[in-house]
Amino acid sequence: MANLKDIRDRIKSVTSIQKVTKAMKMVAAAKMRRAQKHMEEARPYENRLSGVINQLLPDVDRDLLELLDIREVNRVGYVVVTSDRGMAGSFNNNILKRAQSEIDAIGKDHVDVFCIGKKARDHFKRREYTVIENHTDFWNELSYNHAINIGEGVISHFTNQNVDEIHVVYNEFINVARQQVQSELLLPLTFDDENSRPVDRLYEPNKVDIIKSLIPRHLNIQMWKYLLESYASEQAARMLAMENATENAQDMIKELTLEFNKARQAAITTEMLEIVSGAEALRS
Amino acid sequence: MSSFHLEIVTPTKISDEGQVEYVRCPGLDGSFGVLSNHRESIFALDVGEIKVTQNGKDHYLATSGGFAEVTKEKVELLLETYERSDEIDTVRAEEALKRAQEKQEAKDIDPARNDVSLLRALNRLKVSKR
Repeated sequence: MANLKDIRDRIKSVTSIQKVTKAMKMVAAAKMRRAQKHMEEARPYENRLSGVINQLLPDVDRDLLELLDIREVNRVGYVVVTSDRGMAGSFNNNILKRAQSEIDAIGKDHVDVFCIGKKARDHFKRREYTVIENHTDFWNELSYNHAINIGEGVISHFTNQNVDEIHVVYNEFINVARQQVQSELLLPLTFDDENSRPVDRLYEPNKVDIIKSLIPRHLNIQMWKYLLESYASEQAARMLAMENATENAQDMIKELTLEFNKARQAAITTEMLEIVSGAEALRS
Repeated sequence: MSSFHLEIVTPTKISDEGQVEYVRCPGLDGSFGVLSNHRESIFALDVGEIKVTQNGKDHYLATSGGFAEVTKEKVELLLETYERSDEIDTVRAEEALKRAQEKQEAKDIDPARNDVSLLRALNRLKVSKR
């Protein structure tokens, strides 16, 4: 027969774990909302910026812009966006699996990896991939400066002709219950030059220089978007994982309580039997 | 003095500055000023200092660049980052400056990228003294 005290202790420990998972779920929900808010706030800036670039591009000779430069692909750069912490279900696993299979398809020796988040760093370092840059421990105080910093590293790696293409693998936030692994081509940039109507405006210093200074900024905002999408996805995944953990804990508590009651009842029954048989023995 | 509407848009917020009389921005080819009724135009902006005159008072902002769109209705500054002169964390700026200067000695870094960090740190320090 299970010991009453053991069961009581287990119930206690499961209850305290449940408290932790519940709290983590709440925290993840708050962080996810913050990331979503950031995504909203970034939209006006992004729209204006790409609006102006799209307007100017038709008038600019593409060969002048090294970030639009399409070269023969010998070496490829991969930016892999993961989180620093686990406990988010299959969030990091999915992304790493996808990234690794794409990289292996090209050949490990032809790929430079930019790791964002501890999970990517640990994964690719251990397997001895060519890791160019690591960015870790910033998710908690995520700010636009991080996007600029990462963006600059990636851009200069491309413009220095170390790689001929840059891909980004990240989790796209679709809704709370769904995140999708996406792999996108970041560089060379492709723009669809359509619906541009000429506006009588003064361009200072000139169109080419404006475009040249705006395109890196466009890439930074793209990077910011990737970071936010990934952050929101991470928090959503964690929220779900913690929700499940809380439910499981609830089930366990229920089962344990049942077992506890049964054990207690058994103890009482045994005790009563002893008393009754003792009394019987005395009477005869 | 006649005034116009100024808006600052960054990736993290839109801030409505209200009616202002004058804006001076760091263009790629040097500073330029905008008064009301300016011709419609687009300017690329470099790292530098923005001066805004509102109700006869001058305010200074440090920016890492972006662009300015002047239309008939208003002036919009699309900046990657900006800080008001009284909001600048000078300690952090000094640290960034020191880091960039130290890195200049090292050979293994991208010089162009480091120069930008250096410029940004210097600019923030300069504007913070306003």
